[in-house]
Amino acid sequence: MPQSNSTPDFAARLAKLQSAMKEFGLAAVVLEPGPAMLYLTGVRWGKSERTFAVVLPAKGGPVWVVPGFEEMRARELIRPGEEIRIWQEDESPYQRIVEGLHARGVTSGRVGIDEGARFFVFDGIRRLAPKLEYVSANAALRAAGVDLTQPAGRKR
Amino acid sequence: MNRRLFIASAAAGVAALGRPMPQGQDVPEAIRKLKPMTEGIQPITDEERHARIEKARRLMRQNKMDAVVMAGGSSLFYFTGSRAAEVLWVLPAAGAPVWVAPEPPESKLAGEARIWKDPALKYRTAAHALADRGGITRIGIEERVPFGVFDGLRHATAGTEYVSADAVTAGCRMIKSPAEIALMQRANDITIAAYKAAFATLREGMTQRELSANIAAAYRALGVNGGAMAIFGKYTAFPHGSIQPQQLREGDMVLIDDGCTVEGYQSDITRTTVFGKPTARQREVWEIEREAQDAALAAAQPGAACESVDAAARKVITDAGFGPGYKVPGLPHRTGHGIGLDGHEWTYLVKGNRTKIEPGMCFSDEPTIAIYGEFGVRLEDCMYITESGARMFTKQSPAIDQPFG
Repeated sequence: MPQSNSTPDFAARLAKLQSAMKEFGLAAVVLEPGPAMLYLTGVRWGKSERTFAVVLPAKGGPVWVVPGFEEMRARELIRPGEEIRIWQEDESPYQRIVEGLHARGVTSGRVGIDEGARFFVFDGIRRLAPKLEYVSANAALRAAGVDLTQPAGRKR
Repeated sequence: MNRRLFIASAAAGVAALGRPMPQGQDVPEAIRKLKPMTEGIQPITDEERHARIEKARRLMRQNKMDAVVMAGGSSLFYFTGSRAAEVLWVLPAAGAPVWVAPEPPESKLAGEARIWKDPALKYRTAAHALADRGGITRIGIEERVPFGVFDGLRHATAGTEYVSADAVTAGCRMIKSPAEIALMQRANDITIAAYKAAFATLREGMTQRELSANIAAAYRALGVNGGAMAIFGKYTAFPHGSIQPQQLREGDMVLIDDGCTVEGYQSDITRTTVFGKPTARQREVWEIEREAQDAALAAAQPGAACESVDAAARKVITDAGFGPGYKVPGLPHRTGHGIGLDGHEWTYLVKGNRTKIEPGMCFSDEPTIAIYGEFGVRLEDCMYITESGARMFTKQSPAIDQPFG
């Protein structure tokens, strides 16, 4: 079925990213809200101290990591059927990200981090999964057609 | 809660979508009458910023960091007074700070300037400055530095270890001085004035967007930048609202939440009331909410663990038959957050946080009671900790039909 002009074909965008990930040797990409998340998934979310992220593996579907009490609001935006892992206020969102990586078979190799992601998100992930190698995701994101010159939204 | 961070986000920000700006005769009377409340505001002095830098150096030594790196944002403003965005600021544990940027600093506190014009030289310039200082092998990165900036720096400085700078930056920022508390007091007073005026504009059929626009207009009239999320009816059960359009009807719960900025310092206040006559159920839940807010205030004593404040508020709500834990109907989030230059900042009133409460800390006190399908109630005032206990910046709402004390 051809996509209508008004709804981007997010499945095709993800597929393109997945081939770029293979080309650049990435097992997964982790995105915070920003231009890459918006282009690749259609989800627009404000960055806050509560981590909201998506794991896009080289193989398999996205895994969303969402604050527990925001689940209803997040479900208004995330495409039905996609995996959502919530974290409660006293739990670690990084634990959920690492679980999402493991669920997609990513236990070694290189993980691309969105250059707009904040240091604390990366730091939280690497403390729990120190054996993974963390590199910039930008080359793969650009190859997938993401315009990284777009503003990333309001900074705090 | 603090919603300003969501306002730029159309999907999240019901207030953001083509916000109508009331002008001239369209501005409601209650808002037109407002006068600026900005007189006599005392900005933070360079002397105070210098003392912050010295405290940061002490914390660096305690936490075995040779330097801390910031890249714009509220931490850079905290230490230097600069709002520059394209900058790497290196604060070493010993010796003058280094300002690596395309333009020289305006602030004397920024230290030695290393100017680059070609963006390709940005990280090499920083690396040279670090090498010239010597002995810098373990660097703290400010929490909101973008990964791309960290990545550029680490590639230019092989052999350097990078860790979180939170112990230093949050270690300083968590404890507010009297000058900071005075600025936050002003921001809180202004927010109450804006909300009072905005509540006077409630009318049948108004959209949540119109109420948000009235609050923004009130802030402009009061001389500051600010905004608010407005939620009506059953959508008040969602702590950050909903993208569904809402029109105010008799008997609806009305919830407004957010604040304004004074010299960078934030306020964050929530009021929940009813448009028209409250039902017995609305009244009952509102009173439990107020009791929970009081319990958190009483528990926020110096020396108490942050998590005990959350437990105190949550107990009131659980004892009333809600929850337990984060279950709804009940309190689906933590009881409060630190507040200062960021609307939400370290440290948090949340289970698992054993940080001891100290004089000078500032927190929101905002246990929500969310009942999906019915309504939600949140009362939020911010408190600052003194030697003898917590003090609210604002008078709590005394009753469901009296948002202001």
